[in-house]
Amino acid sequence: MTYLKLILGAATAIVLTACASEPLPPPAPETLVETVTEPEMVVHVHKGDFAEIQQFETPGGVSVWLVSEPSIPILSLEMAWKGGETSDPEGLEGLSDSVVYNMNEGAGDLDSLAFQTRMEELNMSFGCSTGNDWTSCSSSMLIENATHAMDLIASAFAAPRFDDGPFERFQRESLIGIKQRETSPNWLARTAMANALYPDHSYARQTRVESISALTPALAREQMRKLMVKDRLLVTAVGAVTPEVLAPMIDKAAEGLPETSEIDVVADITLPAASAVPILVDLPQPQSLVSFSAPGLKRTDPDFFTAYVLNYTVGGGGFESRLMKTLRVEKGLTYGIYTSLSNSDHLDTWSGGGQTKNESAGEFLAGIHDELNQFVADGVTPEELDDAKAYLTGSYALGFDSNAKIADQMMGVRQEELGIDYFDTRNAKINAVTLGDVNRVAKDYLSPDAFTFVIVGEPEGIE
Amino acid sequence: MKRIITGGLLALALLCPGAMADEAAWAPKTFTLDNGMEVVVVPDHRAPVVTHMVWYKVGAVDEAEGKSGLAHLFEHVMFKETENLGPEEFTTIVQRNGGQLNAFTSWDYTAYFERVAKPQLGKMMELEAERMVNLKINDDPEGPFISERDVVKEERRQRIENNPGAILQEQVLSTLWKGHPYEITVIGLMDEVAALTPEDGMAFYEKYYSPENAILVVAGDVTPDEVRMLAEATYGQIEPTGKVDGTRKWAPVPLLTENELIVHADPKVRQPSWSRYYSGLSQSRQRRESYALDVGLSVLGGGMTSRLYQALVEDEQVAIDVNTYAWTTLHDEGPAIISASPVDGVSLDELDTAVMAMVRDILAEGFTDAEVVRARNSLAAEAIYGRDSQSAMANTFGATLALGGTVDQILNYPDAIRSITTDEAIAAVRKVFGNDRHYIEAELVPAEGGI
Repeated sequence: MTYLKLILGAATAIVLTACASEPLPPPAPETLVETVTEPEMVVHVHKGDFAEIQQFETPGGVSVWLVSEPSIPILSLEMAWKGGETSDPEGLEGLSDSVVYNMNEGAGDLDSLAFQTRMEELNMSFGCSTGNDWTSCSSSMLIENATHAMDLIASAFAAPRFDDGPFERFQRESLIGIKQRETSPNWLARTAMANALYPDHSYARQTRVESISALTPALAREQMRKLMVKDRLLVTAVGAVTPEVLAPMIDKAAEGLPETSEIDVVADITLPAASAVPILVDLPQPQSLVSFSAPGLKRTDPDFFTAYVLNYTVGGGGFESRLMKTLRVEKGLTYGIYTSLSNSDHLDTWSGGGQTKNESAGEFLAGIHDELNQFVADGVTPEELDDAKAYLTGSYALGFDSNAKIADQMMGVRQEELGIDYFDTRNAKINAVTLGDVNRVAKDYLSPDAFTFVIVGEPEGIE
Repeated sequence: MKRIITGGLLALALLCPGAMADEAAWAPKTFTLDNGMEVVVVPDHRAPVVTHMVWYKVGAVDEAEGKSGLAHLFEHVMFKETENLGPEEFTTIVQRNGGQLNAFTSWDYTAYFERVAKPQLGKMMELEAERMVNLKINDDPEGPFISERDVVKEERRQRIENNPGAILQEQVLSTLWKGHPYEITVIGLMDEVAALTPEDGMAFYEKYYSPENAILVVAGDVTPDEVRMLAEATYGQIEPTGKVDGTRKWAPVPLLTENELIVHADPKVRQPSWSRYYSGLSQSRQRRESYALDVGLSVLGGGMTSRLYQALVEDEQVAIDVNTYAWTTLHDEGPAIISASPVDGVSLDELDTAVMAMVRDILAEGFTDAEVVRARNSLAAEAIYGRDSQSAMANTFGATLALGGTVDQILNYPDAIRSITTDEAIAAVRKVFGNDRHYIEAELVPAEGGI
């Protein structure tokens, strides 16, 4: 029996974080049984302003960021792999989705019902999801059940069943989803926007009746081994555990994953000129959804934080944004209108949206144009800039008040490769933004001519 | 929605001997200010932030005839202007201090909240205290009250009228609660909202907004002593109006007396759905029995492992989904619901027959101890997970106290739910879905022709 060896003075820090009253808590006995060799585990402790992050590679080679938080007996775990729906082969759109759907639908000796029952017995959650660029799994568990919970996840990764029953249920649900989305205003707007701006890119691909019907459990099993592999696995965790306790559990969970895989290279999107006229999509309902989208900025762009601060005053700051002040508070045209910067691996946009009754769609659209024009012409006031910085920096701590939020925030930093000191340096970057920068970026990005508008509903007053 | 606890700490104690002391510090504290305002403090020292809420014991249930939507529209107006704060300045100050803020209205209560870094807590109390006593409502017939009324009308369109399922549910609930103050949805009827006036708003304020009708909840990085000091300096300075109408229009909801069918056909519906709404229970009125009902409905149709899902979605494959659940957290009795959606080729009549036959069989056969234990442990565990969210904690304490409940009821919830027996769980479900009970059948179907 041996304790995992900790070096770089990390032991004290870890212990102080997790269990102040006992210098070196023995790992749970069952985890020691798994430790057949004496692996050395280096734990770098990053004492940040918002979280004390313990960064380590498990003996099995999985890279983990952990925040030990003993005050609630739970563990929040996030796992992510680069690669997602863009890797679905042509004609098999929905394949990655079928993989993640089935990850908690049976593994090893447990069929779907037995697997779900086991999760309930352990009072745990475990589920996976996929998007264009990433595939993710997350789990919450009670610390008292952590070893058993991680064993169940291990079996899902090593021996997923992809039984016909749940697989066909996935197909039935997907086909109904395909019917239902045809009257979903948000889906219609998103699809019209994608078809206008990047119709030939894999981001614009959709599931179809034919592609869902062509899926098989064998194809899903093969795709799962491509999406979920050891060398691309990123883990973040927050909870009442130490690195020594968590590492062997994660190694056991990841043990059955393939070492590596090839994922397709996807091209970046270069957005074309915006549509000169709004794109109208007819839908019988009392309100029109107005969406608008223009080229945005990469996270690495030197102007990214400038744009981020500016966006607060445009439509990111709730009631403090000009779009809300004018179109909601002053004119009563909408319950809400928002803008945001969005970033993905191959597309960066500045977009927004809101809903108004069909009769006022023309006035609403004109109001958005007017506001954007004013940003281009006059920028923001020094007071607006100060308010934006004060909110964005002052409220940042609110994103770190729960285990789940911290695990999620750390995963975002890892996925976008922002650096382990990102949380600590982010407010300084916001405070460094100048009025000149903001007004220059407003001119460069916020002209209404840069935005493609999509209107879903039965809008009136649109030329 | 009430899921909190102090138990289940054995494992943590083994891993971290210091943890028990931390648990003791978590224990919520309550006290009352001299002016009658109740205070709850829920310490959570993980991050240097606080959630500050003021709950008023007034909601849509208290609206006068013909004034539906007033409680909610008034909640919006609370952000407008006071004697010492200019138009919209409340929000500006909170956000300039790094705060997030919002408010919500239910049939039973109205709550306002700010989430801020701990040093700003006193400032938030000053602001909330200011609008508790010094609100101004602009009576310009084209002014901010009127534009806010238009905002609420847009909110109603967005929440309800755009959404076929919400349109149907509004009709069903108003039938279920016929004659009870819950009959009209919180946001109100469009024509009644359109007729609300600044004078209606001011009368509502004067009648209900006073410290003796309010509950302060602070969750986060604070001690009860700190909160008491700040609260006495702010809220504590407000004289109670002494004229709060404390009589709520709450009343037991009578059982349905006949079966009804309500069909909503809509061109936006692409997938039909079917539900039955039965007269249910409420935690406030039938606490233990409503816990038993929650456990029983979880076994019957509470997810993939439930009896109905396994029978109808997995085995017979007549439904794409099936659920049973009850609204038990309103003060008065809400519905107990069975809902399902058919696979292609199965009509709603066939679905109804299949679902109800299965419900009858299962209720005749009864539940096993194992599935009841699993269901009640899941409900109890949600209380532990719930503690991860500071705002969820604040909401649980605020909502419970606003309905006349106690902190002990929250703390005892996991033990209470774990003590529900198999007999109690099956009895509660047999009662609400019994053959002697009536129901409203609700069908959401595509409009002829579609789009």
